[in-house]
Amino acid sequence: MKTVFVRPELCIGCRHCEVACAVEHAQSRSLFDAVHEEKISQPRIHVETGINYLTFPNRCRHCDPAPCMQVCPTEALYRDQDTDSVLVAYDRCIDCAVCAMACPFGIITFRSVHQLSTDREVNAKCDNCIDRQRSGKIPACAEACKTGALEFGDANDLVRTSRRDFTLRMLRSEGTEVELQKIPANVQAFRTILEEIAGLSP
Amino acid sequence: MYDSHAARKIAESRALDSADQEIIVKAMDDGIETVWDRFADQQPQCGFGQLGVCCNRCAMGPCRIEPFGKKPTRGVCGATADLIVARNLLDDLSTGAAAHSDHGREVLEVLLDTAEGRSQGYQILDEEKLQTVAAEYGIQTDGRKKEEVAGDLARAMLEEYGTLKNRIQMTERAPQKTKDAWKNAGIVPRSVDREIVESMHRIHMGVGADYANILLHAMRTSLADGWGGSMMATEGSDILFGTPTPCTSLANLGTLSSDQVNVVLHGHNPILSEMIVKAAEDPELVKRAAEKGAKGINLVGMCCTGNELLMRHGIPIAGTLLDQELAIATGAVEVMVIDYQCIFPSIAHTAGCYHTRVVATSAKSKVPGATYMEFRPETGLDTAKEIIALAIENFPNRNPDRVRIPAKPVRMMAGFSEEAIKKALGGSYKPLIDAIVAGSVRGVVGIVGCNNPKIKQDYGHITLAKELIKRNILVVETGCAAIASGKAGLLVPEAADLAGDGLKAVCNAVGIPPVLHMGSCVDCSRILVLAAHVADELGVGIGDLPLGGAAPEWYSQKAISIGTYFVASGVYTVLGIPPKIFGSQNVIDLLTSQLDGIVNASFAVEPDPMKAADLLEAVIEKKRHALGI
Repeated sequence: MKTVFVRPELCIGCRHCEVACAVEHAQSRSLFDAVHEEKISQPRIHVETGINYLTFPNRCRHCDPAPCMQVCPTEALYRDQDTDSVLVAYDRCIDCAVCAMACPFGIITFRSVHQLSTDREVNAKCDNCIDRQRSGKIPACAEACKTGALEFGDANDLVRTSRRDFTLRMLRSEGTEVELQKIPANVQAFRTILEEIAGLSP
Repeated sequence: MYDSHAARKIAESRALDSADQEIIVKAMDDGIETVWDRFADQQPQCGFGQLGVCCNRCAMGPCRIEPFGKKPTRGVCGATADLIVARNLLDDLSTGAAAHSDHGREVLEVLLDTAEGRSQGYQILDEEKLQTVAAEYGIQTDGRKKEEVAGDLARAMLEEYGTLKNRIQMTERAPQKTKDAWKNAGIVPRSVDREIVESMHRIHMGVGADYANILLHAMRTSLADGWGGSMMATEGSDILFGTPTPCTSLANLGTLSSDQVNVVLHGHNPILSEMIVKAAEDPELVKRAAEKGAKGINLVGMCCTGNELLMRHGIPIAGTLLDQELAIATGAVEVMVIDYQCIFPSIAHTAGCYHTRVVATSAKSKVPGATYMEFRPETGLDTAKEIIALAIENFPNRNPDRVRIPAKPVRMMAGFSEEAIKKALGGSYKPLIDAIVAGSVRGVVGIVGCNNPKIKQDYGHITLAKELIKRNILVVETGCAAIASGKAGLLVPEAADLAGDGLKAVCNAVGIPPVLHMGSCVDCSRILVLAAHVADELGVGIGDLPLGGAAPEWYSQKAISIGTYFVASGVYTVLGIPPKIFGSQNVIDLLTSQLDGIVNASFAVEPDPMKAADLLEAVIEKKRHALGI
């Protein structure tokens, strides 16, 4: 199964992924034109702050079985067999939000989309960049991510990286704290300061 | 559904001061967007930007360096994280130095206009300071009219903005050892504007790739501000409007009046607001205010324009950077006059929710939605009167149902210019030096800088100030830090009860508060002069003295310049908010330790004010030990 794997410790909240996602789902697929379109494209990945100013890029996991698909009364949600992606037939969506209630990750948002001629809002969730995948490209968010917080690939391969790292740490007696990549001292110092500030902030 | 208990909790998390909390709740009741809401809307903030590794200077970019050790490790041009961080820091610092120095230039232009009889309403009030500074500049004073001397001095100072002589006169005020350190490091400033222009040159692509060399120039640029542009702003303002002497006044949003015409004077440059102080006393305008049903005209200050008026006239101060929207949200402000710096671009939008009129007065600082009444020295008093008249006209539009003013302003003292401190000590620094040598006062820390919505308003300032005075460390303050202490009741002699026994005894003997308000942010130059005089009396450099600096809640590029000229002058400085340098370990190392070997001081970053107090105390004790006291 190919997926966009998230390594939250590498996310620095730059929101490149959000911008790339919005551009990819704009009618023009161009940054400079996207901001002038009638229905402004919105990101389908959400970088949000948790505690201590740490961030997590949250997007559709394309579950299987997918709770959203199971509850959709109009069968607007369907699976693309080639890419294992959960997709939305916008013309069938009735904006009832039952899918959003069923989604374990809270990533479904309702927007008007350029594919429909009316302004009504529909489930405009992540489509796994199906068009890009069909032309051999990886999802826009993973391509935009400069730190490796979002990596596209086979889940088992990506998990193996984590496992190998853990094994090495155990063998080098570096303890059991799983850390895929050693966070550089300067970045760690910065995060420590942010944690202190978070304790002093509203 | 609106939850008043939840609103109260939010207000308590946003601000330390209860008057502020009261109006934060009102702003939420009224549905007013404030800086805290916008800060929340901005989360998360970009990590590349926060680490300083984003470069958006040229059209090959924008570029950013991967901070976890992967690619890209260089920008398109080839710049490393070290270089990008250093260039960004120099850019920010130069912006701050330019803001201070351009403010200074305008003060000197009014001084020149006044000397040559072109200004309206101004006079040269402090002849003693005029004589002193003119003598430093080698200007003949004997038997000459003060206007002649002031004209020569203004021209001599203005000339130093772009001087060919490659020297700024007031850097001579620094102790010899401090000047020697600058000379050895090659950071003696050559002119006010030149260093800023050269900074702009150096941050262009392909002008130097050595981060250390760029940071040395940052120090030189900051010195051109602290001992140049800012010091000229202070001295020029003192000559025109008088050197501050101790005065009593009031602080917090409770200084707004329920039955008078309220005019808030916000920004940094006192040149117009000094005229507004005059205009508010105009009998014709006072009468007109009464005709409109007002009991009088109430001027209150905000930010550093407020500090300037507080220091010289005892005008009450409504608050700091984060109070500007709250002042409007009281519903009781007829006019907010703005000059420049630290004015939220959205301020007229906020005012649009009430009857408040925002009056922009500087050609440099126009704001959509504000009424524009341009200040010019030759019509300064007329413009000031027009602004007061506008406020009076607006008074009947105040809706009493939407007004809420906190009940109790806090009593405070200000006016502690360097000259005033010396006078309070009996005309010499000897009593202070004796107390420091005896150990009853361990040292002196300057707490300066802004507010920042990243930290509960005033918490950093007040916690640090209280902790330092408890440890017998005298605190001197400027800017929003000083206003915070005013609101918190630390600027009165009775606050000495909060100090350790040694400092308390000194304060009681001299009759001063344990925290001294030394003025606006350009008046950080007063702290430099104070340090220089004490160092001279002991025959050492500033870096040898048991001093420290702190900016617990800074936000502005000006604070970067101030912090850097403190450090470059030999004052160890703790920043409460991390500057955008953490993308480069080399830059961190240079600024937090290697500078010690160059200027005998360095930076630290510590948001927790209690830990900051520990750091400052440790350095003070180290310096005391080195002095053998």
